[in-house]
Parts: sequence; structure tokens; C-alpha cells
Amino acid sequence: MSDVITSDAKVEAGEFTRFCPVADVPAGGKKAAKINGTWVLVCNTKDRLFAVSNICSHQVKPLLPGRMRNCAITCPVHGAKFSLETGEALNLPATKPIDTYEVRVVDDWIEVKI
Amino acid sequence: MSEQILEQEQDQSSQALDRGEARCPDEPTTQEIIARDKVTAPGWVCSESYQFLGDEDISTERYYDPEFAKKEYDNMWSRTWQFACREEHIPEPGDYYVYDLGRYSFIITRVAENDIRAYYNACLHRGTKLRASGTEGCTSEFKCPFHGWTWNLDGSLQQAVCDWDFPHVKAEEFSLPEARVETLAGFVFINMDKDAPTLEDYMGPEFMAHIKAWGLENRYINCHVSKKIPANWKLTMEAFMEAYHVIETHPQVAVSNGDANSQYDTYGEHVNRFISPLGVLSPHLKGQHTEQDILDQFTVGDSSFLEGADRKLGEGETARQRMADMMRSMFEQAANADLSHVSDSELLDCFSYTLFPNTFLFPGISLPMVYRFRPDPKDHRMTIYEVFFLRPVPKDGERPEPAEMVELDEFQSFTEAEGMDPGFGAILDQDTENLILQQQGIEASAKPGLTLGNYQEIRVRHFEMAIDKYVSGQ
Repeated sequence: MSDVITSDAKVEAGEFTRFCPVADVPAGGKKAAKINGTWVLVCNTKDRLFAVSNICSHQVKPLLPGRMRNCAITCPVHGAKFSLETGEALNLPATKPIDTYEVRVVDDWIEVKI
Repeated sequence: MSEQILEQEQDQSSQALDRGEARCPDEPTTQEIIARDKVTAPGWVCSESYQFLGDEDISTERYYDPEFAKKEYDNMWSRTWQFACREEHIPEPGDYYVYDLGRYSFIITRVAENDIRAYYNACLHRGTKLRASGTEGCTSEFKCPFHGWTWNLDGSLQQAVCDWDFPHVKAEEFSLPEARVETLAGFVFINMDKDAPTLEDYMGPEFMAHIKAWGLENRYINCHVSKKIPANWKLTMEAFMEAYHVIETHPQVAVSNGDANSQYDTYGEHVNRFISPLGVLSPHLKGQHTEQDILDQFTVGDSSFLEGADRKLGEGETARQRMADMMRSMFEQAANADLSHVSDSELLDCFSYTLFPNTFLFPGISLPMVYRFRPDPKDHRMTIYEVFFLRPVPKDGERPEPAEMVELDEFQSFTEAEGMDPGFGAILDQDTENLILQQQGIEASAKPGLTLGNYQEIRVRHFEMAIDKYVSGQ
């Protein structure tokens, strides 16, 4: 359920926008959606929400099906790992970071700032 | 006159001991200390298995000669069972963990619930590693990042991109080559040698009986630290094989450690151990400290467990018994478990087992470590040393995720590692300082061999005998 991809949301650049109801991303879950043409991945792990780019910086594959552990996500295709906190590439084959975004919860909605 | 004769006879009788039979004089043995405990120790604790194995020097070129290191790769690492990862690293099908040993690299993956494989980590097209070293994750296939050749989880070839150009590639001949895999107590072991004995035969019946009693499959990695040590991997391992060095190297521990009267055992070719009793005074310090001093200076693997405990001994109380009682209560609380049946010795003492070639298990409660030692692939005079702390899985909770490895550089202190008790880190720093000087000294020495004590350093000899056997191709 938490891995379902949602449809595009329309938003002004630089503002928080509603991403999905908070209940859609339970502890240990993740969800990807496109906001203004940008693929965003929201993860719920270690009692926190994180929002990062859903696109691996190595070979532009979606990170959504990757394994989340210890505040990092691993791309299932070639194994690149990224910090959910900083976006830093933690191991080869990636050497470049992924974008991270501010995330908050307002009225039981997850909001992300692109 | 008659008393003098008696003394002479006693002197002669002690001189007449066979080699290896001498023990720390006028001190209780480890078994005698354990026998006085309130909660009786199990059979695996209350047994001895020492054997004199010779007293010749150990040649030192093994610690610096690149040819020797090459022989180890060719004849030893390729034929022995090695701890590659814990099952908790790969709990679900598709989970994988990359284990490297020198130039060798393996993808350890769970193909199905009870099917773990170890694939040589290299594309069969032009050799690229399918997964980077030191990584782990979850996948449904192994795709090469270079040209995209892809293998299924079970190792069968899924796709050779542009297969029209590879009529000579037969899928049935292009499955990923595998090393052997066996699991034991939550550990995943691999062996590159198809003809090697089973893991059970390799470890031997005594050790198999011991490890089955420990329940290490019900532990999880609470802390994992890695650091490079500028010394050969064998030399680094040997620093942890005896308590003989405690009085000089770790004086802060000696007050509460029976170092010179620790017990040493060997089992077959691949396993040895010591039991180092804690909560008792070092024989070196006899008469210099009270029982209260021993209690006051007791340090354990994680001293935070004992914060706020009553440390004032009553009349006639021993430090050892008080420590056992305190630990029982502290660990029962911390692990939410009933430890009333666990012996004082298991709670207190340091049990150190070597599994040849490169793993140490410490099955005790207060010191629950696993050590792994690997040669640095680029420098055989450098060791990659790892410390894992294995804590019991909480009784009522879920199994926690295994801790991420904290990687220290060569010049960082173990005390800087998150999750490691600073007192324990300081001990490892003292060992590291010795190792730097020992590697350098061995290379500078006019003496081409190490001289070993017959009893306290039997584990070093036993270990090097196995090295010699494999390296010589036997």
C-alpha cells in the first residue's frame, strides 16, 4: 500500500504542497509521486519522515522499490545507497547525491517543499 | 633438616613437570574459581582441553613477506570456512550483503526463506563487480551496471543484452559461480573449496556442542565498528588470544581480572579458546588490593548497564559474587529476560573462541563480541579489524535492524565510535598501540622467530600450526 505511486499534484515552486494523507506512509513505508514534474519519494523510518528525489543519481532508475534501512535507501537496480537525511551517495556505483526536500505534516497531510 | 629435604623434593618435582604442564603457581585455577560460584556453570564452561604443541619459535616472515601472503590467498583463504555475514543482514528473499576477502568478493543473497547463496561478485561478460564492495540491499535480480547483463536471484542468466551477438554464450553455462554456504547460530559461513569438509566437521564436535548451547541466533548486531590496524592480520588476531598481556598493556583491568590464571584450550585444528575469570584479582597484584578495590575497578563491555548500582561490599562478600548478582539483575532488566538459570561464570567471565581462520566469538553476557580480521586487499601488513556487539533480541519486541557499520580511519580512537563503551574502546586502543610497534619491531628484529609461552600462548601456536598446514598445501 505504501509503495503505490500517486498522480501528479499541481503546485507553485518553492511552496509546501500536499503530498498524501499521513496514513498512507506508515512506519517503515514509502510512497512516490510527481510534484510539478519532479519525482519525490517520501519515506517513514526511524520515527521520522524524509522526502528525497525518487530518481537514482547513478542511472536514473526509481528508488521506490529499494530497501530502507538505517536512514538510507538502496537502489535495487545496481545497489547505490543514499542518505535520506542529506541525499549523499553512500556507496558505488553512485558518486553524486540525490536532492532532499523539506517535509512536514499539516492537518494529517504530508506536505513537501520543492 | 628434614624440612629442607622436603623443600628440595618439591622443587625437583616442580622442575620435573612435563613441558606445558606448569600453571600459575599458588593461585586457584579458572576452574577452581568457577567452582566456588553460587550458580553452577554448564559443561562447556567446566571442561579443559589443553595439549602441549611444541616450544619451537614461530618464524616471523609470515607477518611481512608478500610471498607468504600470496600463499595464504592461494592455499588458505580459498579452502577455509569464513564468517561472511549474519542472517539478520539478509532476512528477506532478495536481500544481499557483499563480503570481500582480499581480491575475492561474494554476493551473499537469500534466494528463498531457507536458501542462501554466495555468488562470486563479477559479471561473466567483462568482469565488472555486480555490486560494489561493502554494500548491502535488496533486489529482484543482479544487473551489471556496465552493459546490463542480468542474472536472476537463483544465479541463472536472465539476459545477455543483444544476445544475437553472443551465439557462443549458452545460458546453462553462464549461471553465476557459487561458493559453498552453511549457516550456524545466525552466522552465514562460506567456503570457496568444493571439497572442503562440512562446517560441522570443520569446527569439530566439541565446539559444535558449545555453540549450540549459546543461542547466538537470538542475538542481534547492536554495534559494528571497523578500523584499519597497521599490522598483519595474523599478528592482530594474536593480540587477542591471551590474557598474558593484560598486566602490562591494560593495567586498569588487571585489578579485576584473573589474567595469569586464565584457562586455555584447543579443539581439533580450527577452534581454540580462553576463559579469563573476572571479578578476581590478578595473581600479579596479590596482596595489593582488597575485595572492595576489585569491585570498584571492575569494567565490563558496556559499563552503562551498571550505572547507579550499589557497589559497597558487606562483610565477607566477594567482589566476584556481587558482580555476578549485579549483572544478573541488570541484564535481566535490560533484556527483559529471566537469567536465573544462567551461571555466574557466563554472566561475568570473558570467553574468547577463535574459529580458524579469522573470527573470534565471545559468547559471554557481559562481553558479547564477535571479531573479524581480514588482510587489507592492498597491503598484507594492514588489517581490517571489525568488532560486532551481539545483544539478545528483546524478548517482547521485534528484532532490531542490525547496526550500520561505523568505519574508523587508521588514526581514530575506538572511543570515538558511536555505540562503543568508552572503557572498552580504550582497551582496544591500547592493543592497537602495541600492534603498530610489534609489526615494526618484527621487521626490524635480528631474531627471526617469536618465542611463546607453553600454556598462556598456546592459542597463538595452535593458530599458526593451522596456518602452516594450509599454506604448505596440506
